[in-house]
Amino acid sequence: MLSKVKQIHALTSIKRERVLPVTGHVLVRRLQKVSPTDVIVIASISPQYMLLDISQGLKVQPSRADELLQRKAGDELSKGDVIAGPVGLFQRVIRAPKAGIVRIAGEGKVLYEIGSSPFELHAGMDGTVTNIIPERGAIIESRGALIQGVWGNGKVTYGVLQPVSNDLLQELVPEQLNISFRGTILTAGYCNNPEVFELAGNIPIRGLILGSLSSELIPAAMAANFPIMVVDGFGSTPMNNAAENILVANKDKNVALNAHIYNQFMGNIPEAIISNPTQPETDIPIESETLKAGKKVIITNSTYAPQIGTVDRINPGKQTVSSGIETQTAEVSIGADQKTNIPLNNLEIINTK
Amino acid sequence: MEATTLAIAKSVIAVDIGSTISRASFFDVVSGKYRFLATGSAPTTAGAPLFDATEGVWRALEQLQHITGRTFLSEKDGVIIPSTQDNQGADVMVATMSAGNPISVVAVGLLDNVSLRTAQHLAQTTYSELIAEISLNDLRTSSDRINLLTRKRPDLIIISGGTNNGASQSLLTILESIGLSSFLLNESQRPHILFAGNEELQEEVKTGLGKICNLRIASNIQPVLGAEAIYPAQKEINEIYKEIRTKQAGGLREVLNWTDGNVSSTASATGRMIRFLSEKYEPEKGVLGVDIGSQATILAGAISGKETLRVFPSLGVGSGCLGILEKSSLDEIKRWLPIDLPDKDVLDYIYNKTAYPASLPTERESLEIESALAKQALRIAAKNTAPSLYRNKSTASSLLPPIEPIIGSGRILTKAPTRAFSFSILLDGLQPTGVTTLALDQNGLLSGLGAISLINPLLTVQVIESSTFLNLGTIIAPTGYARPGTPILRVRISREDGRTFTREIKYGSLTVLPVDIGEKVSLHLRPLHRFDVGMGGPGKSGKVNAVGGSLGIIIDARGRPLRFLQDPEKNRNRNDAWIRTIQKYE
Repeated sequence: MLSKVKQIHALTSIKRERVLPVTGHVLVRRLQKVSPTDVIVIASISPQYMLLDISQGLKVQPSRADELLQRKAGDELSKGDVIAGPVGLFQRVIRAPKAGIVRIAGEGKVLYEIGSSPFELHAGMDGTVTNIIPERGAIIESRGALIQGVWGNGKVTYGVLQPVSNDLLQELVPEQLNISFRGTILTAGYCNNPEVFELAGNIPIRGLILGSLSSELIPAAMAANFPIMVVDGFGSTPMNNAAENILVANKDKNVALNAHIYNQFMGNIPEAIISNPTQPETDIPIESETLKAGKKVIITNSTYAPQIGTVDRINPGKQTVSSGIETQTAEVSIGADQKTNIPLNNLEIINTK
Repeated sequence: MEATTLAIAKSVIAVDIGSTISRASFFDVVSGKYRFLATGSAPTTAGAPLFDATEGVWRALEQLQHITGRTFLSEKDGVIIPSTQDNQGADVMVATMSAGNPISVVAVGLLDNVSLRTAQHLAQTTYSELIAEISLNDLRTSSDRINLLTRKRPDLIIISGGTNNGASQSLLTILESIGLSSFLLNESQRPHILFAGNEELQEEVKTGLGKICNLRIASNIQPVLGAEAIYPAQKEINEIYKEIRTKQAGGLREVLNWTDGNVSSTASATGRMIRFLSEKYEPEKGVLGVDIGSQATILAGAISGKETLRVFPSLGVGSGCLGILEKSSLDEIKRWLPIDLPDKDVLDYIYNKTAYPASLPTERESLEIESALAKQALRIAAKNTAPSLYRNKSTASSLLPPIEPIIGSGRILTKAPTRAFSFSILLDGLQPTGVTTLALDQNGLLSGLGAISLINPLLTVQVIESSTFLNLGTIIAPTGYARPGTPILRVRISREDGRTFTREIKYGSLTVLPVDIGEKVSLHLRPLHRFDVGMGGPGKSGKVNAVGGSLGIIIDARGRPLRFLQDPEKNRNRNDAWIRTIQKYE
């Protein structure tokens, strides 16, 4: 069976496409080195438009209004500029109510853009621009550690990684938070207490990476003013051992935390990238592969989640699990002396040493 | 050309690309009749990380090869179509698809509760999310409309409004805003537009919007006031869905090649299948099909040739669980549970299921949570769809009308540990009325057969007749009000061997009649206290012939809609007792 590969790697090649859904101006060039906060592309995401009915304003037929137009598409307008006219006894004119650019003019109407808010797309990681996607963005490549999560609160940041303790098995409690964490991206086992977010926001920390999060805290996590990424799932389980080892080993290193709101079909996966371009080149990680004996796996749904084990064998036929469901299972060894049968659907391959 | 190709077609592969699982089912002629032979499945790969639906389809076909021992794939040519003389490949391949984010839709109409509502109903026939509505009631200026559309950038704008020969000027004003906003967007971002309004405006619409947008025109979905005729436009929606998905989902082009373009949305194919069944068998009785998927729930009904299709795109038991939580409180989900679980555990499980939608419940607790989610998803879907299923709008209610049979599809039903479990989800979620049969699409073929019915109806008929739908049981569900314990129905059961027995049914009870699977019986139903058993009105008696299903014949006198007990513990105990009753003869 084809299984998803959980993207947790101590060292891997990372290639990310950073593109906007609309056209804009790309501000980087090929082979340029970028850092997470560098702007890759800038665009006007939601321009505001105003439609002026010239023929109605001048009280003339649309064809006549077109003759009276003084502006054409592309013209810039300042507030008060005459757009059409004069006409009639009182030399009636239409003036621009706001500054802007004419986009369409004709058939008695003028549509003009009256302002927009520029949107900047950041690189989101340290790396090198390897390709430019004209008017939309760029492809950035790097090497380093990668940890993808299952949930993010939609915010991104960049900062120094700081595990709360030497293991990420424990609950993060308000008492652990102090001023020494100011400006860092904290990592911890799990969180059950909404006060943590309030205190962390006051310090302030720059971001938070958790193994799991109580789902009751999701509204508070969404409201937090810093990015939060959950690596394994929801509840009170410590962080999986592979992610824990990487995060603890990279203490004090810079991490780009892109805590995107998960959307599988848009490709928005929350992730933490600890770039280390000096490391030797490695392959781009495999994203799915066949589950078989010898594969290291992470358990995603059962009382054993999110423990990591090794597949001893794929059991032949179907087996009945405790819930009564009949399904294909694998015998998985967890630790030195524990073996259990887990449905294949509840396993993801993990390719980290 | 098409008819010739299809007339000689023998074997068919039907692929379904679901949001979590891709499946490939194989049909061929065995002993002179079409039969379903096997299904292979694999995780869907349309989204991250692969963004290539082909990979999942390929893996499902590999598994199908493994199961059947027949070669379907060639490294050089992809899927082997048509089949070779040495029995490799298949003659035809069709595909259905539901994977992907819902397409974003703006509905445009003249008046909120007339044309706009019809446009909404049309949008609900596919995997769509209504992101905005535009009508004359909203008092937006042309500039406001342009700004709304350029900001939202919908995938599709559905324009309805104006009965034929009716209003036109107001609609043209709105159309101008749509044209201008589309012109302002990059060509690749311009929305698809479906015009299904006043037919007198079709030429003007073509002239005004045809060059700027991806325009399709359908007959008016509200040709006269109060009449809804969305079926022709539904076909156009399916084509638009296919175009949008082809652009979004990597690898779909290859699937289109293999299927020679025979790709449709799973919902549309399910709807087609339900209509097909209704036309083929007893149109007056109707057919209802439900598909509870990971991301979406589909309800499709057909009664006397009238089809109703509703897709609930974020209401599923996998990646769509959060949609259930958005549309109901946690208590409304928990009231279906037969065991006591803390709120936190239920909530954590729901979020974890969203994160790992393909995962299976391994303990009873998690299985019960999934069952509760499925019941609640069906309840929401049934309440929303029921009014549209009534032929006479004045009698429409949020309860399903008597409709027979009801076919359930979806992994949560087919992979359930017991038939009673699947039955309980359908019964509690849908709460059917009158006399009906609950059947299970045990091999998950509903949408595939719907897609095949277009090109090879004979295959569809012969596969249906080969027991592809498992009869779970006949349901008799009287409606009315009484005190719990009051006798509301007398049933006399006559067996084929002449033996008879009588049961008195009390309000609030769930009774299983001991009728063997496949056993034919005659039931004389005599309702008391003006209860309605679907025999033509309240208090009316009647005789029906029924066949025992896997779980016998069940009389559901619990009332409609089901009422829950205030005391959570008593409510849980009652849920537990109900499931034990249904399991009695399994």
